[in-house]
Amino acid sequence: MSAPNPNSPCSGSTNMDRRSFLRTSAVLTTGLAALAASLKPLMEMEDFPTAERFMQKYYKEMTPADMDKVLARITNEVEKQYGLRPHVRDYKPMDGVEFVYCLNLTRCIGCRKCVHACVAENNQSRNPEIQYIRVLKMPHGSLDIEKAEHNYDPAQVPEKGFFYMPVQCQQCKNPPCVKVCPVHATWQESDGITVIDYDWCIGCRYCEAACPYWARRFNFTKPEIPKERLNPEMSYLGNRPRRQGVMEKCHFCIQRTRQGKYPACLEVCPAGARKFGNILDPNSEVSQILRTKRVFIQLKEEIGTSPRFFYYFDV
Amino acid sequence: MSTESKTTKSLLLLSVVFTTLAAGFLASPSSQPAKQNISLVDTNFLDKSTWRRSYADLVKAKEDLSDFDCYACHEKNKPPPLRYDAEQHLIVPKEHPDIVMHHGSHERNNNCYNCHNESNLELFQTRDKHELKLADSAPLCGSCHGPTYRDWEAGIHGRTSGYWDRSLGAMDRKLCVNCHNPHSPKFPGRKPAPGPHPLREVETARGTPGRSGSDLHAAVNDPLASSPQSLRPGVPRAEAH
Repeated sequence: MSAPNPNSPCSGSTNMDRRSFLRTSAVLTTGLAALAASLKPLMEMEDFPTAERFMQKYYKEMTPADMDKVLARITNEVEKQYGLRPHVRDYKPMDGVEFVYCLNLTRCIGCRKCVHACVAENNQSRNPEIQYIRVLKMPHGSLDIEKAEHNYDPAQVPEKGFFYMPVQCQQCKNPPCVKVCPVHATWQESDGITVIDYDWCIGCRYCEAACPYWARRFNFTKPEIPKERLNPEMSYLGNRPRRQGVMEKCHFCIQRTRQGKYPACLEVCPAGARKFGNILDPNSEVSQILRTKRVFIQLKEEIGTSPRFFYYFDV
Repeated sequence: MSTESKTTKSLLLLSVVFTTLAAGFLASPSSQPAKQNISLVDTNFLDKSTWRRSYADLVKAKEDLSDFDCYACHEKNKPPPLRYDAEQHLIVPKEHPDIVMHHGSHERNNNCYNCHNESNLELFQTRDKHELKLADSAPLCGSCHGPTYRDWEAGIHGRTSGYWDRSLGAMDRKLCVNCHNPHSPKFPGRKPAPGPHPLREVETARGTPGRSGSDLHAAVNDPLASSPQSLRPGVPRAEAH
């Protein structure tokens, strides 16, 4: 480095004639132009992290003051993007509460209203379409998910000889998705909800591969939500708009259930097939279902994930 | 001189690589996959209301109750006679065009006075002659459907909305007649909401073994697509009804 570079044009004319200087310069210019052109995909990137987001602390290490700053940043970002001032909060788990979901397979008619109520509540991308709930149609007398169909579109449901099984995040007690996350961007909270910090997720999709229920969705492209369909009641770990390149999934409507309300999929179910509540309260609907109903299953219970989502039948 | 020519050569090589890359990127208009034409879901599918309104709902909303004024047409203290056809099916009078009697299998429940009070049409009566008001229909249903009534009281059967935590707000429990038509209680069928669109349309037909690389994303968002039993829209359905 101390010796002058013999190829450098400013090192004098001892080693370089006019011709080779011009040739090198021409090649260099072409190369730089080509490099700039080949970086075109970077120019399409709109969502560069701001310094604030880049320097943000890990969720569990944030003080309430830190969280207030983050919530203000998210509020401004959403307002800038959608022209609508949202109400973003960080709802903490309630004491003495563990959520359980029960779904009555005898009652479900397969109308898919829960799918779309969930999309509306949780600000999922409409195009490309991201849905947390998938309704499987299976022939009576079997529970073989390999034989299930999810693209059914008859004139009327329910169809004779079939039953319907909506599948969403099972909020496992022993969640494989949490174990594989290399950056601890997903974890289980004390009320049983497995949450994702969208600002901490690096988008490696290990959790998607680990989930035996295919409950996690990845934002391959920039999510698209029409402004008029945006739900302004948002939570940090729940339904605030996501970015391209992060995972998302059902979180039992954190912004509703941690305020004591029922989740959106339950409210819309026309058949009353969905039941939700606190398993630690012996008088809650779910406690009574698990105590009195004769048959209930946990999907793929043999693999030891111990879901908090129970399917049952009645007469 | 050999160093200089080496540099020029490697620079030229790099230029060729970058130019090829740039040409490739410019040829494809965007790195984002082409958007499909997905229309927004009909807001009717987001409606949380029950499909029927009970008498109690009408009273609460202070709506017109003239339809429930039985003695505008019927005569007091004179029970309307019931008529049956040759096969012992109840003939519903044409003045009640909205009533389709289909309660209970095998037409066993074909008597109006199993539920309505013949001496006062503005009341219900249970089989053991307990009188109930029109707004208080749930115990009437429960007088026959005991286990279901027990489940409904516990919140296990039927629709609820509002708050699971009663200390923070009220739970709204819908009545039997919000979902079931008492004269024909079987839950009616309906058009399902639109099904899922995969990220990229997959052209799979039954029995097509191969999948091209461009289907990889669709396979991720659509794990059942590779299963031969999974039926795509437009593919003839074997078990069609």
